[in-house]
Amino acid sequence: MKYIIIGGSAAAIQAVEAVRSVDQRSSIELFADEETPLFSRVLLPYYVAEELPKKLLNFRPLTFFEDHEVISHLGVRITAIDPDTRTVTADNGQKHEYDRLLIATGGRPIVPPIPGVDKKGIFPLKTMQDAENIFNAQGKRAVVIGAGSIGVESCISLKRKGMEVNLVEQLGRVLPTVFDDQASSIIRKRIEGLGIKVRTGEKAVRFHGNGSVTSLSTSERDIDCDLVVMSIGVTPNIELAESAGLDIGELGGIAVNDRMRTSAAGIFAAGDVAETQDIALDKKSINAIWPCAVEQGKVAGLNMAGKKVLYPGSLRMNSIGNFIGQPAISIGMVNAPVEEGGVEAGEHYQEVVRSSQDTYRKLVLKGNRIVGATLVGDTQKAGIFTVLIKKQVNVDEFVPLLMSHKLNFMEILPLIRRYSDKFKEIEYKELMDTGL
Amino acid sequence: MEVIMVDQRKCTGCHQCELWCANEISSESKEMPASFSDEPQPVPRVFVEGKQFALHCRHCPDAPCVEACPNGTMSRDENGLVFVNDTTCIACWMCVMACPFGVINPYSTMKLAIKCDRCRNMGYPICVEVCPTNALQLAERDVKAFPASKA
Repeated sequence: MKYIIIGGSAAAIQAVEAVRSVDQRSSIELFADEETPLFSRVLLPYYVAEELPKKLLNFRPLTFFEDHEVISHLGVRITAIDPDTRTVTADNGQKHEYDRLLIATGGRPIVPPIPGVDKKGIFPLKTMQDAENIFNAQGKRAVVIGAGSIGVESCISLKRKGMEVNLVEQLGRVLPTVFDDQASSIIRKRIEGLGIKVRTGEKAVRFHGNGSVTSLSTSERDIDCDLVVMSIGVTPNIELAESAGLDIGELGGIAVNDRMRTSAAGIFAAGDVAETQDIALDKKSINAIWPCAVEQGKVAGLNMAGKKVLYPGSLRMNSIGNFIGQPAISIGMVNAPVEEGGVEAGEHYQEVVRSSQDTYRKLVLKGNRIVGATLVGDTQKAGIFTVLIKKQVNVDEFVPLLMSHKLNFMEILPLIRRYSDKFKEIEYKELMDTGL
Repeated sequence: MEVIMVDQRKCTGCHQCELWCANEISSESKEMPASFSDEPQPVPRVFVEGKQFALHCRHCPDAPCVEACPNGTMSRDENGLVFVNDTTCIACWMCVMACPFGVINPYSTMKLAIKCDRCRNMGYPICVEVCPTNALQLAERDVKAFPASKA
């Protein structure tokens, strides 16, 4: 068996480990267009903030390829896949044969067609090179466009480096796809408390400057700046898959089945490039987050190596961590959708909220199941919501407990036991067998 | 691998395990009562919960915290025990978000995720040693009888 993996981040590396857990003999070749291997993209804002040195960005030791007997081609781009002859072509012209192929090409930053967007001093934050560019940028005034996770972390990083920072977001709140209005406003206060100017509901209209960017016009004002970080979002790198004739999903990611296989025999896809079924939303989604890439890479790798392993579906989850000094976590659906006619009985959406000055907890329920959870402040028990969403448990009369400060795992054990057919793993069994 | 098992009939909810865990594992002095006034305050890795049950990290064979960790800080040792590599933790709390048992403490003061590593460097878990009713016991986990769900 010959394995080829395209990509070098979370999904790709996890797939290598999964394949090797089953098959120690076959050849694995890995192609990554970035020359720096094994660093964690999620940590780039920490590097920009000078909180982490470069070597601590690695999520696996540099001996990884050697340890797993992988032939790595770093800085080599694959330009074509031929599913009929089962070969890939690299940008140096060489062809390589595969029996099983993984496409883990991830996503790339969206660069909107704003006039002047090609000026010097305007960077996305996705690659190690981007991080270096921002890290080494001269000047005192920065603008970050887009207040998603990367945008928010970037603006805090730049502030910590001593810059004056404006955060510009077209929509009405920070982290608009992650938090609802109330949670977002708590976080916004924290960001503003750090001295960052937050401009929501403002659209970037034009960049000015002779060669290098010197200012930005938004729909409301002009902002002088020496550096711009573009963090609008990412879009999947599907060109290879598309030109190979693979099915692309309705949202623009590579379509995969529940074993992470694409429409072509022997070809799998995982990570930010893949379009999967979202457990909470109950529809297709591209959940471009680290934990999903890891899970999908693992499932893809095991199936490539001949195991039959099903992917239960993806789930969006974001954590703001210690960056703003206020932990905040959001899982699944952010807001209950406004219901239109035709909702089946018992499947109505409902939001349950509990808040104080600095803490906030919200559940989104669909019928009796949790499909979304938001926690600000007190977050230690957040994973209980994650598992209840993932296992699609009817929480019934446990809602008051789930909303209370008393919430802990042993208090909900009766619920876990009620759905013991969904909690078959040994870590749950051991607790259920204690006679409680 | 050996994990800590709890006999609920014997657990009286006395919190000795919490007290000794915090003292032994996370205090400077490692002696009571001096450790009570340590700064930052020593924190336990075991939680007496519900109708009196000492809950620790269960060292899941297919651990969501390990999968969620973006830089390999949450690792598994050769005995199957899941532990936090203190020096590389960046306090992103992805593990906290993933842990189904809610037993990873996002400890802001230290910017560190804190959880039970079953005293893997001490030979014997302190909570098992101090439990006055022997409700806590080390027991061999029969991993073969319950294979990891996904593999």
